[in-house]
Amino acid sequence: MSAGPVPIGVLGTGTYLPPTVVTNEEIAALTGTSARWIEERTGIRRRRRALPGQASSDLAAAAVQAALTDARLDVGDLDLVVLATSTPDELGPSTACRVQSLLGADRAVAFDVSAACSGWLFGARVAVDWLRAETGARYAAVVGVETYSPFVDASDRATAVLFGDGAAATVLGPVATGGFGRIRLGSDGTRADQVLIPAGGSRIPATGRTVAGKDHRIHMQGRQLASFVNGVFPSLIGSALDDAALGLSDIDLVVAHQPNPAMLRDVARRCGVLPRQLVVAGRDVGNIGAASMPFALAQAARAGRTTPGARVLTLAFGAGLTWGSTVLTWAAPAATAPGGPVAAQRPLEAPIPRATP
Amino acid sequence: MTRPAAVIAGLGSCLPLRRITNADLVQEGLNTSDEWIRTRTGIRARYRVAPGVGTADLAVAAGRAALHSAGRTTAACVLVATTTPDRPCPATAPEVAARLGLSGTPAFDLAAVCSGFLYAAQVASALLTSGTFDSALVVGAETYSAIVDPQDRDTAVIFGDGAGAVLLERGTTADPGAFIRFDLGSDGTHSDLIEIPSGGSRRPRRHGDTSEADHFFRMRGREVYGQAVLRMTASARTVLSRAQWPAATVEAFIGHQANQRILDAVAQRLLLPPERCHGNLRHVGNTAAASIPLAMADAAACHLVGPGARTLLTAFGGGLTWGSAALTWPAATAFHLPPEPRPPQGEQHE
Repeated sequence: MSAGPVPIGVLGTGTYLPPTVVTNEEIAALTGTSARWIEERTGIRRRRRALPGQASSDLAAAAVQAALTDARLDVGDLDLVVLATSTPDELGPSTACRVQSLLGADRAVAFDVSAACSGWLFGARVAVDWLRAETGARYAAVVGVETYSPFVDASDRATAVLFGDGAAATVLGPVATGGFGRIRLGSDGTRADQVLIPAGGSRIPATGRTVAGKDHRIHMQGRQLASFVNGVFPSLIGSALDDAALGLSDIDLVVAHQPNPAMLRDVARRCGVLPRQLVVAGRDVGNIGAASMPFALAQAARAGRTTPGARVLTLAFGAGLTWGSTVLTWAAPAATAPGGPVAAQRPLEAPIPRATP
Repeated sequence: MTRPAAVIAGLGSCLPLRRITNADLVQEGLNTSDEWIRTRTGIRARYRVAPGVGTADLAVAAGRAALHSAGRTTAACVLVATTTPDRPCPATAPEVAARLGLSGTPAFDLAAVCSGFLYAAQVASALLTSGTFDSALVVGAETYSAIVDPQDRDTAVIFGDGAGAVLLERGTTADPGAFIRFDLGSDGTHSDLIEIPSGGSRRPRRHGDTSEADHFFRMRGREVYGQAVLRMTASARTVLSRAQWPAATVEAFIGHQANQRILDAVAQRLLLPPERCHGNLRHVGNTAAASIPLAMADAAACHLVGPGARTLLTAFGGGLTWGSAALTWPAATAFHLPPEPRPPQGEQHE
């Protein structure tokens, strides 16, 4: 075996969006604004909403299934299911366990990680090291999912225009060359209150009063967050390039968390990222939290933008505050793997999974 | 042959100040008795936080204690295993890291209910042995009093609040405190045995919601007992076989402190004599993801096990999830601290 860690890369991607489309007109009517204002300010045209009774695990299971199909792997091949979300089915059991059951991934160890919109990248870090450290473990599903709709106040313009429901998954496993470079992560809990769901945890347990007071809804300090994003975006690009010893011109794609297309285009432009490098995936889905980054990655793959050898600078940032970045070199899977990515042929949406009883 | 391994360099624990005895529960109006609780569960007391205290307050104290115990002031990453985070979003770990003076450090929560600590320990081991981080603070912390129905006799007598933490550093399997092998498992087909039905994306809280009981933790006791004994025993055997340790060579056994009858049944099946079984269930109740590090910290503080002794940990929880670890007993002495009140936001820099 050669020296250095086994390269681990993305073998497949898949997404699932729930069927209900929420238009800007609908949001505008409830928030006292206009559809045009929403699109001009955010770049978002529509977002999806989960059906009543459809929970995060239902969305996530469909996305993982699509990613497995893309990777030409069977659900029984999964050794690990890491699920990143801020909107789990419930406090316990973990949503990953529900996904494991929906898929029938009997062999997989399943757990949730919580790092808000950076969750997929934190999950990828865990999965990469797990696959390297565990003898015999080969394949991991890392899925980001959010069902924000029950946690968004439909009359709150600051949040209702932005957030949508959706899931996006990746299957990670050994690759011949390339794969994930160093994944750098960070957090700043002194700013935990800048975006949060205040009640429903141990600090402010649920009561009739917290429900009436809308304390179970997302609260966001927009101005402070914008300043965070404007600061962290260039520094994440810089550290990822430093770690990979590359310049920005060596990068084929920049796949970032997607707060909204307007903000993303603006901050990316100011960092010198060219429009042909930037993946913008929020127009039809809004901000889907932990699913945003893998959703953008899946969109890029589906559009044929992830050719073998492509250097994909990925970066995420979110509540916590949390952040992370890496350079992912898109690779054909290792020779021993049963299949490879079939980027251009996959459907965007998998069928709606069966409902849990 | 020695290999790189995650090694426990420090142990810390935290319990709230309010101790609730079985008699206190009866006095609060719960239809039970001290004798009933003791004979069915083995529990005599548990601890409960004051209103407004969150899981982070316990996690910060246990984490600080573990750092003190190791003689360290920093960790390269912070993992918090919990079912009762301070808020649904964001994670509790970044706040814990910041309050320990570790702003900037990667920090995230991991959810696997009562097996959460062992899950987080294996994740941290992978992060350390693959070279990503040199050290990891792994905290199991819970405030089940926030989700337990005070009128539900089956759960109110069992669960308590608390936190336990270990500081892991990269060392070798020859070091006292080294994790040698793990075995983890999940089975979501039994997810209804232990659950908190309401409050997430499946059954969101809505204005005018009157089904208050759904906000609380629920457990199907008899089926949980059967599954727990089965899974913990099988997982313990798997990890011992991976470590190539005959069960008779295990010097210390700490199971998830769920219920004395479960622990006794598992120990009996593994042929582990009572003097090698350690735990603090009778004093603290079931503290979920906190139970194993809390029990380890108690045993270490009392010097009940010698450094280097072969140790078996096994856990079981909602999900279902289960897990076991084969490790050697750490050399560190455990520290204990009371909960740290949350400073007002904006004044947390140290």
